Amino acid sequence: MASALHAPRVNNNDDIVQVIAFRVGVGDYIEKGEIVLDVETDKAIVEVAAESDGYVLKLMCEVDDKVAVGSILLWQGERIDEPVPEAPVVAAASVGDGNARPTAKARTLLKELGLDAGAVPASGERLTLADVESYIAAHGIQRRDRTPAVTVSAQESLPDVPGQLVDLSAEERGMLITVSWHRDHAAATYLEVEYDPKAWEDHAAAYAHANKLMLSPLLPLLAYRYVQLVKASPRLNATVVNGKRFQYQPVNLGFTVQAGETLYLTVVRDADTLETKQFIENLGEVQRHAIQRKLSREETSGATIAFSSMARWNVSRHIPILPPYCSLMIAHAAPKGSGRAVLGASYDHRVLSGFDVARLLMELAKPPV
Amino acid sequence: MNLDRDAIKAAVRAKVIELAKNLGMDASDIGDDDIIPATGYIDSGAILELVVWYEDAYQMPLKQEEINIDNLGSINSMAEFVLKRKG
Repeated sequence: MASALHAPRVNNNDDIVQVIAFRVGVGDYIEKGEIVLDVETDKAIVEVAAESDGYVLKLMCEVDDKVAVGSILLWQGERIDEPVPEAPVVAAASVGDGNARPTAKARTLLKELGLDAGAVPASGERLTLADVESYIAAHGIQRRDRTPAVTVSAQESLPDVPGQLVDLSAEERGMLITVSWHRDHAAATYLEVEYDPKAWEDHAAAYAHANKLMLSPLLPLLAYRYVQLVKASPRLNATVVNGKRFQYQPVNLGFTVQAGETLYLTVVRDADTLETKQFIENLGEVQRHAIQRKLSREETSGATIAFSSMARWNVSRHIPILPPYCSLMIAHAAPKGSGRAVLGASYDHRVLSGFDVARLLMELAKPPV
Repeated sequence: MNLDRDAIKAAVRAKVIELAKNLGMDASDIGDDDIIPATGYIDSGAILELVVWYEDAYQMPLKQEEINIDNLGSINSMAEFVLKRKG
């Protein structure tokens, strides 16, 4: 049965909170205690944590919305396809039309919840405790003396240096979610191998010449080889959820694209089903969408494995952050003039061993025959 | 955007020079028939930016398969492709 997460009361004087960031999206699996969004009042910004494990079924508000304390922020469910309860309809012509006098017990509960008796329909001549309880159940309102609506973490204190708080952009919030997942969930570690890049460069040059390509296909071909190797070893394409291995069916490749100052993780879905040419074209398409800042949600979500290259910036090593629910991210580097290149990998040690990853990297260091 | 051939070539050349400058390269001597990816002035990331700029500047969405050396490989071919498509 779907359960609701409510807007917390941050302090006694604020009946409204403003949503400033969601850290989860529909379809995400969240665990009890996981921070799912941030809300702000006049006095503080607080993190709101999930009260239970489950999939996010529906977000009931948007960033920047101002919502009443106690209202539903999102619905969660044990299954991803669980129906979300419809908004309850209060019958205007019910027996209790809002004018019924509440009983003493009903009045006590109304006071506790800060509800107006006129807003609650009565089932008879008097507004009873049962009427109020039915109303709050239908509206997903929880009694604060029973279960805290949310876990509110302590507000970080501001640095003792002059400055101001600035809202994060959507992309920055996305990065915050990624980094938080890497920190809080994955047992992330890293290893790398060096390789002679000449064989791959020759392979890419021959492919580019044969297909009259404008853009070097080196990285797309490396990424495609990576997809093929993962397809051949499905255990590389998995994550851990609730203490169990979640084996992905499709191989959705995440591929980083730097567009101006923004780093996107673009996604080529079902990459394992594509032929080389189609894969390169699909990857080129999402890269262009990233530069144009016209990425669809499908093109920025659902990565099951990922690839990143910083060869363009001439770095010798970079250790990627694992995207949420992604256990493996390849890091490519090729310092100019060094005659060598590096394939590294950040991986979730809950899912993969160093042996799994080292074997993959050694295979990936060689172009397909 | 002006659809005169010389104006297109000048605009493409200016964009290539700008992108190369961002990478610390001076592409001011690039020839009209030089194959842009082969000059080494701009890398794949910058070529991607060039293509996106080109689509936007000439209001000409490209299919992925159109992004090839024959159509966009040089300043001359980029100008020619605009005129052919818009002609």
